[in-house]
Amino acid sequence: MVKFKLKNRQITPSLLISILGLIGGSTNSLAAGSQPKIQLTTVPPIEQVVPADKPVKLTFQAVDEQGKRVEKAKIRLQIFTPAKTPWLTSDFPIVEGTQLLDLEAFASTGELQLQKVLPIRGKYQLIVDVQPIDGKAFTPTQQTFTVSVPEKSVKYLNFGILAVVLLGVGLGGGWVLGESQKTLPGEIAPERVRLLLSGAILVAIASLLVVNIRAELAESHHHGDHVHGKHSHSEDRPSPALQTKWLGEDQATVGKLAQIGLQLSDRNTGNPITDAVLQVKAIGNEHNETVFLYQGVPDATGKLTWQQQFFDGAPHTIQVKVSPQPGATRQFPSFQVSQEIEVAGVAPPLSVRFITLAYLTGILVLGLGLGIKLRRSPKFLQFAQRPKTQEL
Amino acid sequence: MKSAAINTRSFKQQAVRFTLSLPVQATLYTSVCTLTIWTLYFSSYPPAHDSLHQVRHNTLMVGCH
Repeated sequence: MVKFKLKNRQITPSLLISILGLIGGSTNSLAAGSQPKIQLTTVPPIEQVVPADKPVKLTFQAVDEQGKRVEKAKIRLQIFTPAKTPWLTSDFPIVEGTQLLDLEAFASTGELQLQKVLPIRGKYQLIVDVQPIDGKAFTPTQQTFTVSVPEKSVKYLNFGILAVVLLGVGLGGGWVLGESQKTLPGEIAPERVRLLLSGAILVAIASLLVVNIRAELAESHHHGDHVHGKHSHSEDRPSPALQTKWLGEDQATVGKLAQIGLQLSDRNTGNPITDAVLQVKAIGNEHNETVFLYQGVPDATGKLTWQQQFFDGAPHTIQVKVSPQPGATRQFPSFQVSQEIEVAGVAPPLSVRFITLAYLTGILVLGLGLGIKLRRSPKFLQFAQRPKTQEL
Repeated sequence: MKSAAINTRSFKQQAVRFTLSLPVQATLYTSVCTLTIWTLYFSSYPPAHDSLHQVRHNTLMVGCH
């Protein structure tokens, strides 16, 4: 047996292996049995996020007790939307209380990064599971983050304007209706009441006309968007060396997760490709807006899959740019493939719509009552009955 | 015959009085306004929905698809 001397102690090979194991263990700083912590950073800061606007960059980093990055981890992220609020609904009531994303990724440096549009205001639950790839480097851990997204400020302004308009309409109607009127001989109804009803009906007709004319103009503009949306497919360039196969669904429904994925294989041998980088981009075709960005690597079977909810009931395009991994043996020209997904919208529940309609009608009735009361108040009646002063 | 004619005129006058009463007038007015609000902000009718899509999404408590 080979022996070494360290001061006054003999070092046997088994002791040497233990020392080397300790040295090797310190580079993967988590001892087996310890749990990593997960840190979340967002860009922009969560209090500055605007719902249904630009994607938010979410970065999850698994670290050990000393704050060093955990290596060779598998991270699963699930995002849940805020709970249902029928008495104070958001603008996507079908999305409330549902799952937005379910994604699992290999994180060689313990980091998972993606960009996602958060569709509504409220408290989102982000559940992160971290496991060692080899199954034993550290104890799997789960952490739940609650992020609170504020409502769009413009909504409060628009609602305020609407409330003032409704109050004014109610007040004006109550003012006219509140007058004590007598029907003149030969008249069916007092003149002012007839005028008020005629005015209200004219406003209703004008509103419907404006809405329908604008709808006709919007329809012709929408046809142009379809042409623009199809243009993205012309950027697809199939690879001569690699074969891609879309996995999952090409149809989705708002409120439900859709299974999406891509499988890479060698065109000649059929073997799965694992040493590639896939840059995923999901685009809403209606306004050409990016709703999801993610960069991942295929698993051992050459697949990259995830589940995602599309919160807008409109066609979407998933674009995937496939590039070789830096330093990998296999090198090939980057190429892009895309897949259209038809998303079926779901109308908000009637109950939710009736609740808000009741609030708005309440404001109108409040104005109506105020108008009638003001018109029939004794002070006003006294003022109205004062004899007019004669001009000198 | 004469009493029938008087009854008919009396019924007409009652109907007119009822129709022109404040509660009925207020209900009619509120109904027309509520119907207009529904068409503009809540109707699923595609022309109404599409033309006011952004307004609906930018108004508090108005739900869309």
